[in-house]
Amino acid sequence: MRIEGSWKLCDDGVLRPVILAEMTPGDGSRFEAPFLVDTGADRTVLSADVLRALNVQPIGGICPIAGVGGQAASVVVDTAIEMRREDRTLVSFKGRFLAATDPTTLDMSVLGREITNLFAVIVDRPGDVVCLLGGGHRYQIVQGPPPSS
Amino acid sequence: MTDDWPPVVMGIVTDPVEIARSAAALAQCERNWDWLEAHASDVYSHRGKYICIAGQQLFVGDVLEDVLARAKAAHPDDRGLFTRYIPKERMPRIYANRGIVEAM
Repeated sequence: MRIEGSWKLCDDGVLRPVILAEMTPGDGSRFEAPFLVDTGADRTVLSADVLRALNVQPIGGICPIAGVGGQAASVVVDTAIEMRREDRTLVSFKGRFLAATDPTTLDMSVLGREITNLFAVIVDRPGDVVCLLGGGHRYQIVQGPPPSS
Repeated sequence: MTDDWPPVVMGIVTDPVEIARSAAALAQCERNWDWLEAHASDVYSHRGKYICIAGQQLFVGDVLEDVLARAKAAHPDDRGLFTRYIPKERMPRIYANRGIVEAM
């Protein structure tokens, strides 16, 4: 299984590794959400704009999460995150996810290790590669010249 | 970090209709993102605002629901629309969250 992402230009002029995923709000409509591939994140966290666009009822109360900037408030939601495989079939990740309540906490949703631990994660800026590799796909490290840009 | 978090359930969707619909949505989204990157200086100038890109058009506002409603009304067939919040300030970002602190 291979789920491909790409390096996307962000507001500060920085390219970041992103995978686009499809989200389904309660009204049955669809929208796309960019997820930052963050190997340091323990949990997947939806950004506040995605939470509001999902329009789902949080489970329980406020749940604090911690990062370099200190603590921030989040809520827990049940939802599905759908990504596309190399053969165009969809991979659905259903479960309980954290979601930021303040838009200044995260400007982009973060893909955390409860999902990335299911894969080998490649975040390769010189090679212009962002992907998650699962069963049926693997990678190999070889000695040689750097990839041509 | 708590260890009792329920695991994510991964499933494969093989319905050809759903796959075709999703592929079309992704293609629309990529077109919208390409448009964003081509107009990045304008789009990202709206600091502290919500944006939505739909139909390769920018929608901006202070209230996400309003921005989304205008985008969907203007481009009802665009399933590849996406929203962002543009941070007020440019600064290096360290996203990595270190898990849940505790329940409140």
